[in-house]
Amino acid sequence: MRILVCFKAAPDVEMLIDEDWAVDKKLKIDTSFVKNTLNTYDESALEIALNLRDASEALGTNVELSTLTVDGGGATAILKTLYALRFTKAVRIEPQEDLRFRPAATAAIICQYVLHHSPQDAVLLGRQSDIGENAKTSLLVAEMLGWPCISQATHIELADENHLMVTHQVDDGHIRQRIRTPCVFSVGDAPCTSLRVPTLRDRMQYGKKAVDVLSVEDFQLPVETETLTGLEILRHARAGVIIEGKNPAEKARVLYEEHLKPMLSQK
Amino acid sequence: MKFKCIINGCLSHTRAQAEELNGFISRFLDPEASDGTTIIFYSQKDERKALPGLVPTQRAELVRIDRYHPESILDALARIEYSDDADLYLFPSGFAGSEIAVRWAFRQKGSSLVQVKHIDCTRDRVIAKKTAYVDHVLATFRLDRRPFCLSPARGCVDRLPIRARDNLVVTEHDFTGLNKGIRAHDFHWIPVEHAKHFENPRFLIVGGRGLQNKENVQFLKNMADAVGAEFGISRAVALNAWGPMHRLIGVSGTIAKPEICIAAGVSGAAAFYAGIEKSKFIIAINTDPLARIIKSSDVVVIDDYKTVMAELLKFFTFDGANEA
Ligand SMILES: Cc1cc2nc3c(=O)[nH]c(=O)nc-3n(C[C@H](O)[C@H](O)[C@H](O)COP(=O)(O)OP(=O)(O)OC[C@H]3O[C@@H](n4cnc5c(N)ncnc54)[C@H](O)[C@@H]3O)c2cc1C
Repeated sequence: MRILVCFKAAPDVEMLIDEDWAVDKKLKIDTSFVKNTLNTYDESALEIALNLRDASEALGTNVELSTLTVDGGGATAILKTLYALRFTKAVRIEPQEDLRFRPAATAAIICQYVLHHSPQDAVLLGRQSDIGENAKTSLLVAEMLGWPCISQATHIELADENHLMVTHQVDDGHIRQRIRTPCVFSVGDAPCTSLRVPTLRDRMQYGKKAVDVLSVEDFQLPVETETLTGLEILRHARAGVIIEGKNPAEKARVLYEEHLKPMLSQK
Repeated sequence: MKFKCIINGCLSHTRAQAEELNGFISRFLDPEASDGTTIIFYSQKDERKALPGLVPTQRAELVRIDRYHPESILDALARIEYSDDADLYLFPSGFAGSEIAVRWAFRQKGSSLVQVKHIDCTRDRVIAKKTAYVDHVLATFRLDRRPFCLSPARGCVDRLPIRARDNLVVTEHDFTGLNKGIRAHDFHWIPVEHAKHFENPRFLIVGGRGLQNKENVQFLKNMADAVGAEFGISRAVALNAWGPMHRLIGVSGTIAKPEICIAAGVSGAAAFYAGIEKSKFIIAINTDPLARIIKSSDVVVIDDYKTVMAELLKFFTFDGANEA
């Protein structure tokens, strides 16, 4: 089974302090000085795929993992890690435009990659990115490929060569069902899916392979039907009054007597 | 403007979806200039009777399908909506709503936006706002292509109860059997039990990664039970499987509106904070005086959450015993 996992690396915006948040005339926010991190949903997708490969070894089926990112270069370290985790192919597609709010363009690239460059049985990707927060790319990949889509996937197991057993979150519960490939899996809040760390030996042995870089010119990008026209920073300041006390017991007493008790006793 | 509300009545929270869309319509659409129809998908025959009471518009179409499946809803919608006269489709904020909004817009060659916080619309264009940069920024979009398919952000409007209509016009469709065969194998539905007052508790205690393990999460949950508070968790706790996902607070989980909220061992990332920002009073307990939650709380205890909470419990227990 050929599985493609798509991911995005994005600046860790939780590292920005209040003063850093400023929007320029091109509707951009300077985040160049914070480190890039792997999107949390994509991280889960990558680990789920690795678990599938582990299981395939036990079941004697063949799972081949490859990975793709549409990225200007900030994902290089992650791509190397994925090689060290023995993904067979790691591809980076260099965008020439600002794709933050262009989920249809990103989806079209992924779809054309699968159709024209590297056929797949399953595509896994996180449900939402950090910066654009569009929550659309994975759904559009499925629509463009004309494949079924399982969204909010939290757990995937190998059933046989053409089927996967998937658990996915729905409003008010979970559904567990057997799915025939090809299929797109949009990964949601999946517990216990932190990406494993490769061994030093695997880093040395596999992590140095060159990443394939494709030009975005080889892909046709659709016109987006939604256009960004403004960005406004949200600020949430409250009083932040620090409760003083010489030890935790005293602080708890002040908290209880001056705040909790009066509020809770109001009818 | 012609609009349609699409409700998934195959799962167990049909009323919540209907009341949310009712709230959205009353806040953002001009009643004089809008003409609405609600399409409710359902699968159990015995649920049909209650559906007319869950319609926030003048007309309703009740569509029976085999069971909840985005594909079944999309295919059935395509059979009903052949005339392309709708300008706007509104979907609820949950997983089903936001998924179908995007896929339906693609199939209809329209535009879509999910997790929408605000709209301003005319027949030809919609201006909508939603968050970006993990909830640090409010982004404005112009949607250019009809039909406009929107799904609101969780908790962005208050639910508005549906008023009964005597003159409701109801059309019925039966699409059972339409998608026979899709993934019919090994299908299991595992419902979760929601706490009754999880969204609107008087008192909410939330634990974050600072709790460090499952036992401590249970400790805080027990304490919440003892003092009559609801208990929620951050995504870091849920992802570590220290607590159940349905207790998740934040943009991806519940947007709570308690009177008092204690956030213990939570850094206050914006995606989390959105879930408690409607609290009247926020108390943070954190060892890090520079944590983001400090500036966005009303009062703060800089200390180890466990010691502070254990001390706090003594006061509750003492007062409780005296009252008894
Ligand atoms: C698209 C998207 C959606 C998201 N949606 C959500 C969501 O709905 N809900 C959500 O929660 N997150 C969400 N997140 C994740 C969010 O950005 C944060 O990563 C997450 O909220 C962090 O959880 P935390 O505060 O528990 O952990 P951390 O950020 O690790 O914070 C732990 C805190 O505990 C404090 N601490 C440590 N030890 C102690 C102690 N002994 N006593 C007191 N304090 C202590 C530390 O100082 C720190 O401030 C989302 C992320 C993305 C990208």
